[in-house]
Amino acid sequence: MIGGLFIYNHKGEVLISRVYRDDIGRNAVDAFRVNVIHARQQVRSPVTNIARTSFFHVKRSNIWLAAVTKQNVNAAMVFEFLYKMCDVMAAYFGKISEENIKNNFVLIYELLDEILDFGYPQNSETGALKTFITQQGIKSQTKEEQSQITSQVTGQIGWRREGIKYRRNELFLDVLESVNLLMSPQGQVLSAHVSGRVVMKSYLSGMPECKFGMNDKIVIEKQGKGTADETSKSGKQSIAIDDCTFHQCVRLSKFDSERSISFIPPDGEFELMRYRTTKDIILPFRVIPLVREVGRTKLEVKVVIKSNFKPSLLAQKIEVRIPTPLNTSGVQVICMKGKAKYKASENAIVWKIKRMAGMKESQISAEIELLPTNDKKKWARPPISMNFEVPFAPSGLKVRYLKVFEPKLNYSDHDVIKWVWVPPGHHTSASPPSCFAASPLHQPPSLGLDQPHRERDWWSSPWAPWAGWFLGLLLHHPSVCPGPMPGSVFCDQSQVGSLSSPPLWPHLSGVGGLAAPHLGAPPKASNGFPALSPYSALG
Amino acid sequence: MPYLGSEDVVKELKKALCNPHIQADRLRYRNVIQRVIRHMTQGLDMSGVFMEMVKASATVDIVQKKLVYLYMCTYAPLKPDLALLAINTLCKDCSDPNPMVRGLALRSMCSLRMPGVQEYIQQPILNGLRDKASYVRRVAVLGCAKMHNLHRDSEVDGALVNELYSLLRDQDPIVVVNCLRSLEEILRQEGGVVINKPIAHHLLNRMPKLDQWGQAEVLNFLLRYEPRSEEELFDILNLLDSFLKSSSPGVVMGATKLFLILAKKFPHVQTDVLVQVKGPLLAACSSESRELCFAALCHVRQILHSLPGHFSSHYKKFFCSYSEPHYIKLQKVEVLCELVNDENVQQVLEELRGYCTDVSADFAQAAIFAIGGIARTYTDQCVQILTELLGLRQEHITTVVVQTFRDLVWLCPQCTEAVCQALPGCEENIQDSEGKQALIWLLGVHGERIPNAPYVLEDFVENVKSETFPAVTMELLTALLRLFLSRPAECQDTLGRLLHYCIEEEKNMAVRDRGLFYYRLLLAGIDEVKRILCSPKSDPSLGLLEDQAERPVNSWASDFNTLVPVYGKARWATISKYQGAERRGPELPDTASFATSGPLIPEENKERVQELPDSGALVLVPNCQLTAEYFEKTWFSLKVAHQQVFPWRGAVHPDTLQMALQVVNIQTIAMSRAGAHPWKAYLSAQDDTGCLFLTELLLESENSEMQISVKQNEPRTETLNSFISVLETVFGTIGDIKS
Repeated sequence: MIGGLFIYNHKGEVLISRVYRDDIGRNAVDAFRVNVIHARQQVRSPVTNIARTSFFHVKRSNIWLAAVTKQNVNAAMVFEFLYKMCDVMAAYFGKISEENIKNNFVLIYELLDEILDFGYPQNSETGALKTFITQQGIKSQTKEEQSQITSQVTGQIGWRREGIKYRRNELFLDVLESVNLLMSPQGQVLSAHVSGRVVMKSYLSGMPECKFGMNDKIVIEKQGKGTADETSKSGKQSIAIDDCTFHQCVRLSKFDSERSISFIPPDGEFELMRYRTTKDIILPFRVIPLVREVGRTKLEVKVVIKSNFKPSLLAQKIEVRIPTPLNTSGVQVICMKGKAKYKASENAIVWKIKRMAGMKESQISAEIELLPTNDKKKWARPPISMNFEVPFAPSGLKVRYLKVFEPKLNYSDHDVIKWVWVPPGHHTSASPPSCFAASPLHQPPSLGLDQPHRERDWWSSPWAPWAGWFLGLLLHHPSVCPGPMPGSVFCDQSQVGSLSSPPLWPHLSGVGGLAAPHLGAPPKASNGFPALSPYSALG
Repeated sequence: MPYLGSEDVVKELKKALCNPHIQADRLRYRNVIQRVIRHMTQGLDMSGVFMEMVKASATVDIVQKKLVYLYMCTYAPLKPDLALLAINTLCKDCSDPNPMVRGLALRSMCSLRMPGVQEYIQQPILNGLRDKASYVRRVAVLGCAKMHNLHRDSEVDGALVNELYSLLRDQDPIVVVNCLRSLEEILRQEGGVVINKPIAHHLLNRMPKLDQWGQAEVLNFLLRYEPRSEEELFDILNLLDSFLKSSSPGVVMGATKLFLILAKKFPHVQTDVLVQVKGPLLAACSSESRELCFAALCHVRQILHSLPGHFSSHYKKFFCSYSEPHYIKLQKVEVLCELVNDENVQQVLEELRGYCTDVSADFAQAAIFAIGGIARTYTDQCVQILTELLGLRQEHITTVVVQTFRDLVWLCPQCTEAVCQALPGCEENIQDSEGKQALIWLLGVHGERIPNAPYVLEDFVENVKSETFPAVTMELLTALLRLFLSRPAECQDTLGRLLHYCIEEEKNMAVRDRGLFYYRLLLAGIDEVKRILCSPKSDPSLGLLEDQAERPVNSWASDFNTLVPVYGKARWATISKYQGAERRGPELPDTASFATSGPLIPEENKERVQELPDSGALVLVPNCQLTAEYFEKTWFSLKVAHQQVFPWRGAVHPDTLQMALQVVNIQTIAMSRAGAHPWKAYLSAQDDTGCLFLTELLLESENSEMQISVKQNEPRTETLNSFISVLETVFGTIGDIKS
C-alpha cells in the first residue's frame, strides 16, 4: 500500500502532496527533497530508504513523482502504479510538465482521491474516470446520467460503459516498434530485439466485439498447411513472437487455446498489446563512421549510411545526429544529400534527409575544429543516433485482419473500408521516439586511423579513443496501419477474395492497390463475424 | 523555508473567504479555496481558516466540496472541535441521492483523523456497506479499516468482521479486494484475514475479473492458503498459470512468488516456473520503464543466487547501453558477474573491460570489482585484463585494481606471481586511503617477490608526516615489519625511522600504540616477531569472505517480490529490525506537528538507513534460567505458535551452536549428542516484557533441513517474528561456517 504521493518540480518544490496514511508525516516530503532531489551525486536507485521509509520515484521530463510507504510492498507494483498515474494525467492534460501540473492541480487532487483510497489502488481506468471527473463541478446531472456513471464505475466490464454512441464509427490502429541493437567492434550484430506496441484508438458505438489477427508464426502454421507456395512467394510471411502481453480486455483464454486475439475495446485510446521479437529482424539502416584525427585541434569525420531494404520502398524523415566534442570551435560540413548543420547548443551535427530509397548509400563528411584545452574532464562520447520512418515493421509484423462485430447495433450497412496513411506527426498518440544505442564502448566497425598511435595516447587526448563510436539506431516506426474508417468496417467476403496481393505493408501507396490480407483461404466467418480483413481496398 | 509571511496570507484569505461578494460569485469563491489548498500543498499552515472552510463545504459544487474535504482531512487533527461542525454536512451528504456524493462524503468522513469521530461514522459506514451502489460499498469497506486504525486498541467488532467476510461474495471486484485489505488491517493482531478453502476457491474464480492491482493483492493473500491435497495444489497452479504471462509485471512477479511458495515441496515445479517467467522477466529487464527494469534486475539477481546458469544464454541482454541510468548499469554489471560460465566468459569479460574506461568513475570501479569477482573462477584471463588496466595510469582505476588484487591474492594464491609482476609502478597513481592500504599490504606480504618493494615503502615512510589517514600509517608499520623479516638489509633503516616517527611524533594514539607494540616486540627478539607476524593464515577455503554458497529456492521464496531483493538482505534486516516495533505502538499522527525538519533528514545526504534507538524492539533478557522441569511443563501446556524450516547442511556441532545462541541470550535447556539421529535441542528465551519463547530444534538426518517449532506464552506476532529472525541469523552464521 502507498502511504503518500508527492509531485515535485526539478527544484524540489512540492507541487502536489497527498498523504493517505498516518504513518507518513509531513516531514517525509522534505526528506525526499533533501536526500534525493538535492543530493549531489547521481541517483543511486529508484527506491530510496530514508529513516525506514521507502520512497519510490519516477521522473518524467523534470518532474519527480514519489510514492512513499513504510510497508514491505512489492516494488514492481508501485512503479506500475506510478506509470499508470502518469498515463492518467497525460490522458487528461497532455504532457506532464510543471506548468500543466500547476494549472491542473485541482484535477490531480481529484484524481488522487479516486485512484487511491487509504493507500490502496482503486479504479484507475482513464475511460471510467473521465465519466465522473470532468472538471465541470456544477454540471447538474440528470438521473439518467447519474445511473449511467454509476453503472460505468461499478460495471462488470470495468473498461467500457454501456450505451456509447458515435455518428461515425472509427477505429485506428498503430504499430509502433523500436529496435534495440548491439554490435561488436567487428560490426557483427551481437543481439537485436524489437519491442513493439499495438496502439488502438476506438470510437465505436455499443459493445463491439473485435478480433485482431497478425502474422504470428504459430497461427500461420496452423492455418496455412496447404499453402506453402504462398510463403515462398513473398518471403517472410510469419514472425515468431517471443513474448507478448495484452490489455486487460483481451480474452486470454481464447488466445491460449486458439491464438486469436478477441476483445471488447475500451473507448478511446489504449494499448492493445506489447510484444517482443528477436528473430530475423530487418535492420533498415547501417551507419558506418570513419574518424581521423589531424593533430590535436582537428578531426575529420565521415559517416556513411546505407539503407538496407527493398529499392521500391522509401524511408522518410531521416535524421542523423553526430555528437561533437565539447571543445568544438567550428565545423564545416559537406553532404551529398539532405541538409546538415552544426548545432552548437546541442553539441552535435544534425543531418536531415527527407527521403531515401532502399539499397542506397549516402554520406556526410565534416571537419571539426577543436579548441586546445587541458581540461581534464572527459567527454562521454555519446553514440551517433538516428531517427527515421520506414514503411515496414522491422520485426516483420503484419496486420492480417481486424474484424468488428456489434451484435445489437450491427453496423454492417456500410461496406467500405478505407485505409489512409496518417502521418505520424498528426498522431497525438505517437509515442516519444525512444533512443536505443548499442553498448557505448563498442568500437565502430571500421576505424579511420592507425590504431597504435591512439592506443599509446589513450588517455592524453580528450577524444582519442574513437572506440567510443558505435552504431546507434534510433527508430521511430510509425507503421500506421491505420484506418480511420469513416463509416465502418465491413465489406463482404467475396471482395476480399478477389483482391490482388501486392506484397507488403499497405500504407505507402496511399489508397489504391493495398495489400491483400490473408494468406490462404479467406478467414471464415463461422462465428458470426462479418469476416473481413481490413486489407481490402477502397471500393 | 521560503514560507515566510504565512500569517499575512492566512489573514488575507480569511478575509476573502468571508467576503459575501466573493461567496456569491461561485468562480471567485472556488478560486480562493484553490489558493488555500495551494498554500497547504507548499507546507504553509493554513489551519487558521478552518472555520471559513467548513462553511464552504455546504455547496452543490462537487469540485469545491472535494477541495474542502481534502483541506479538512489534513487539518482535522489540529482542530478537532471545529471539525465536528463539519460532520453535520458530511452526514447529510452521506444520504444524498447521488452515489458519487455519498461515496465522497463517506470517504472524507472516515479520513478525518481525530479522536471521537468514530461514534459519528459508525452508522454511515454500516449503511454504506449495504448501499446499492458499489462505489459507496468500496468506500465503506475501506472505511471500516480506517475506523479501526483510529482506535487500534479497541476490541475488534465481531459483527463488522462477519459483515466484511460476507461481502467477499460481493459482485463488484474492487469491493472484494477492499474487503480483504480491510480485514487484513482490522485483524492484524490475530494474524490477518483467514483464507480458508471456500474463500480461496472463491477468490481464485474471481481472479480474471479483477484489475491488475486487485490481482496482485489477491495473489499475495493466497500465499496464506495451504491446499489440503496435492491434487488441489496442482488445480490451483493450473488455474493461475495464465497470470505468469500477465501484461503487468507486478502480477507476474506476484504469481511467481505464489507458485514458488505453493510448490515448495516440488523443486521441479519451482524450476519450471522460473523457466516460464524467464521471458517476462527478460522483457521487463529490457523495457523502457527504467524503474521497473531496475526492480526486475534485482529479482534476476535473486534467482541467480540459486540457479547460477538460469540466464547464462541470455547474457547479452544484460550488456549496458549508453543511455541507461546509473543504477541500471550497476545492477547489470552485478548480474553479468553472476551468470558467467565457460561459454560466455570471453564475451562477458570483453564487455566488462569496455566499461572499465567509462567516464563515470563509479561505474568503472563497479566493472573492475566485477572482473575481480569473476577472477575467482577464471583467474588468468581476469588478471591479465586487470594488469592491462594498470597501464592506463588512471588514479580511480589503479586504486580499485589494486584492491581487487589484494582480495584475489588471498582467495586464489596461484595468481600471486602475476600480481607481483604487475604491481611495480602503481604507487604513482594511488592517492586514496583504501588503495594505499591495499598496495602497502601487498608489498608487505609478498615483498620478497617484488624487487623494488622496500623502496616503494621507503617513499611512503618519507611522506608519512603528510599522511592524513591513520589507517594507512598502521598498515605501513605492519607491512614494513613483515618485509623486514624477509629483506632485513634493505628495510632496517627505514623501519627504524618509521618507528621513531610513530613513537615520538605521531599524535594518533592508535598508531602510536601500534608503533610501541612493534618496537617492544622487536626487543623480544626476531624469532618472537616471526612467531607473531607470520602465524598461520586462516584457510581461504573457509568461505567466510566468499558468499558463493548456493541457496535453495525456498530460502528466498518468501522474500521474492518484496523489497528485500531491492535493498539486499542485509540492509533490509536493519530496516525491518525496528519496523515491527513501530507498528505496535499507537503513534500519534505525524501530521500533528508541522515541523519542516524532523529526524527524517540526516545532516548529510547519506543514503544509509538511520538506526534510531527504538525502545520497542525485541530485547531478550540475558539471565533467564529455567529449570528443565518447568520447561517441560510449559512446553506441553502451550501450542506451537510458529513452525519453520531452515536449510542446514552437515552435522551439528552442539558446542558451537550453544555458544552462538548464548551470545544472543537464548539458553539451551537440553540437546542431543553430536551425531545423534534425529538430532534435537530445546531452547528458551525471555524478553523484557516477560514473554517466554520455547523452541525445539529438530534435524533429521535424511533431509538437510532444520525444523524449528516455537511456542510462546503470550501470543504476540511482532515479537515472535523478531525472535524467529534472531534464530535465523544465528543459523545463518553457523551454517555458513559449516559449508
